[in-house]
Amino acid sequence: MLKTGKGRPFLEIFALSLNEDYRFPILEVYAFLYTLSTFVFARLGGLGGLGSGEAIAFNLVNSLTVLPVFILVILILKNIAYGVGSDLEKGVIQTLFSYPLKRRLILTAKLLSALGVALLLFLGIQVFSLFILAPDIVVPYMGTVFLTYAAVLSYPLLVAGLVLILTLFLKRGSTSLVFGIVLYFVSGILTSLMTFIAHATRSNLLLKAFAILNPSLVLIQHYLSERALTLEPWAPSFSEVLLYIGGCYAIVASVFIVGYVYFERRLGL
Amino acid sequence: MVLISIEDLAKSYGRVVAVDGLSLEVEEGSIMGLIGPNGAGKTTTIKILLGILKPDRGRVEVFGQDPWDNPDIRSRIGVIYERANFPPHHRALDYLERVCRVFGSPELRARDILTMVGLEEAFDRPIKGLSAGMLQRFAIAHALLHEPELVVADEPTSNLDPEARGELLDLILRLHRDEKVTFLISSHILPELSRVCESVAIINQGKVWASGRFTELCERFGVGTTRVSTDKPGELAKVIRGLGYVTRVEVDARGVSVNTAQRGSERLYEDVLELAREVEARILGIESETASLEELFRLAVKSGREGGA
Repeated sequence: MLKTGKGRPFLEIFALSLNEDYRFPILEVYAFLYTLSTFVFARLGGLGGLGSGEAIAFNLVNSLTVLPVFILVILILKNIAYGVGSDLEKGVIQTLFSYPLKRRLILTAKLLSALGVALLLFLGIQVFSLFILAPDIVVPYMGTVFLTYAAVLSYPLLVAGLVLILTLFLKRGSTSLVFGIVLYFVSGILTSLMTFIAHATRSNLLLKAFAILNPSLVLIQHYLSERALTLEPWAPSFSEVLLYIGGCYAIVASVFIVGYVYFERRLGL
Repeated sequence: MVLISIEDLAKSYGRVVAVDGLSLEVEEGSIMGLIGPNGAGKTTTIKILLGILKPDRGRVEVFGQDPWDNPDIRSRIGVIYERANFPPHHRALDYLERVCRVFGSPELRARDILTMVGLEEAFDRPIKGLSAGMLQRFAIAHALLHEPELVVADEPTSNLDPEARGELLDLILRLHRDEKVTFLISSHILPELSRVCESVAIINQGKVWASGRFTELCERFGVGTTRVSTDKPGELAKVIRGLGYVTRVEVDARGVSVNTAQRGSERLYEDVLELAREVEARILGIESETASLEELFRLAVKSGREGGA
């Protein structure tokens, strides 16, 4: 019997997933789109009127992420729905399950490729672009910059987790891909709806509850409360912002844990 | 030593019962065939013992361990699925070299084994560009790459042309003889199984209806008999009983029916002729009634139905 450590099989499955997820020219096209959309949507004019340096840094980062986050979501959902989903549908996972590697490591390798590399690509290009566009804004407020990214990425990650669960459950990718894209757009619709309700009822309660799933709203209220969405004053403190972002990531983590547990203990092929 | 032990296995998909109280053992160094009609529960049983499906009930042990999510077992098993699927965009040789690294085998083995299964011209071809037959050969190479102790094959000859089927069966026999590899083969092409398998398990409606060595089953169902017509049946039967490999002798007015412990009757023919000369019996005819696997299957199913299996 041949013996091999855990590391090598894991890296090989990871490399295998990379090869399938980022076949030429997917990676090149996405890198180009990230870069293009980052520079095209950069909103540098009028930032001075926003008050504090932190608010300016937040607004700059927020403006840079609009289209690239959408591209990121499409890439991640494509990787999960078609990477994991089509492997399940076509039986490639059965082949992977014949290799000497725990199920959780197989899923980790696939998610590292589907999610990890896409996030790395996104953050790499974004941060690099920020340093080119506005180093004087970025350098002094690195904390704000990363907090904004954490808030902006939390909802897409939540959608990715839900799509993963649905893909594993249905054992096919197309339905879960559609579900993921719809869910991503629903966030925007819900934000508008919650704002409308806040205006109509003069209460921020629903908006505050919804912000746990999309903590970018809390950041907007925190940094730009004078211009913000609601009639009733809501200026969350910094610790509240952290609480909301932490809460959202706790939900994201729970969703992924459910996916892992299902994959590891229940998934039959 | 028992490599695979399955006891009272049950698995349902919703209301459909796929496996229902199935028990089976596979001895080390044997070639066992699983035979049964479509929907009998063969593939479900194989999936459970490969650890990709959880049973609802029962105990499964492979190499003495639970196969569910067990990497130790996986490194000792080679698997050939009926519909082999691999990442489609990899080149054949590149992929097998990667699998060699996964199992810690020398990468050179990938080239050798692809050549062995006749895919030397497909080294650089993407997996999705392989024909159905080539893909099946590729799956066979993939299963044997890490020199497994046990090979589990679900319909391994489907998609293969007759020549390739013959080559695969020869390969199975060679690996079994030279490397002492144990095989569990599920197939509905019974003549092929009877060529390579020493023992079979007949599965129907999620249960094993009969299992054992081919000759034992022939004996149990009273098939595989050699009929010797003679003028002195009593005297000839007496001396035939003295042959070590004879398991059953029945006498009637016109002759003797003989079952042997080994398949084929080449030795029996010669011995019976010699014994007939000794007792001065006239041989009027010798007729072999060797059972086919189809016949065994039919009889096992019939006997199971009559016994209320």
